[in-house]
Amino acid sequence: MSDIANGLVAEKDLAISEQADLAVTHVTARRGAKAALDDASRTAFGTTLPSGPRVVNAGGLMIVWAGPDQWLFIEQAKGGVDSSNALGKTFQGLASVVDVSDSRTIFRVATSRAPEKLVRRMGIDFDEGAFNPGDVAITHVSHLGAMVWRLPDGSGYDFACARTYSRDFLDWLRKA
Amino acid sequence: MRITCPYCGERGNDEFSYLGDASVVRPDPASPNASEAFYDFAYERRNVAGPMQELWYHAAGCHAWLVVTRDTRTHEIFEVKSAQDVALERQKSAGAAQ
Ligand SMILES: [Zn+2]
Repeated sequence: MSDIANGLVAEKDLAISEQADLAVTHVTARRGAKAALDDASRTAFGTTLPSGPRVVNAGGLMIVWAGPDQWLFIEQAKGGVDSSNALGKTFQGLASVVDVSDSRTIFRVATSRAPEKLVRRMGIDFDEGAFNPGDVAITHVSHLGAMVWRLPDGSGYDFACARTYSRDFLDWLRKA
Repeated sequence: MRITCPYCGERGNDEFSYLGDASVVRPDPASPNASEAFYDFAYERRNVAGPMQELWYHAAGCHAWLVVTRDTRTHEIFEVKSAQDVALERQKSAGAAQ
């Protein structure tokens, strides 16, 4: 654990930081339970779950679409609080809830607009106007699976990848 | 070739893997000719020159199985649906037929 774990990796024009101490939970709706899940989510977090590739920020809790009927719930880990366990209770009987905090690494690129080089390195349409604040994409870069979303307030981009190849992924990101 | 995933939008075909003919349906193992029906199900495929329904998997994307209607001669794609929706439609029409 060196520069990755240390968080901030300053680049010429890109401020890339690993988001440390996150609680990341993968939630998959049980068959036919989407409507009931939306009700439970509205009660607990004041918002329904995105039904397409979008991310919502519910007071610091990021709910990221992660495929049909699947979401990542991401928040800052609170000492002594098991976020995934709490989510499991909120969605009891309606969803499969798995703590994936240790298997994902999330890098934040703090920029209101993706630089041209990054846009060109993505396989998806990442242009300003095509990939807007709140948009999510599941894709791959240099054969590494990755999720990317643009923060709903437009202040940056988050990239999530499997922790196993986070070093390679960071390498890719730095070159962008 | 680019495929428009109903969930993710338009993506390059490098994100997808191909399984084959989407029109084949698993036979009923209790049917009297089950053995022949399973042989056909497993091995017999038409070699279509023209539009056909194919199964594609959005492996590097949302992990959804898709039914893509594609012209095998031109790669023109006419329709992309979620395989789950297609399966549910088939179940429904099979149920209605009985
Ligand atoms: Zn997809």
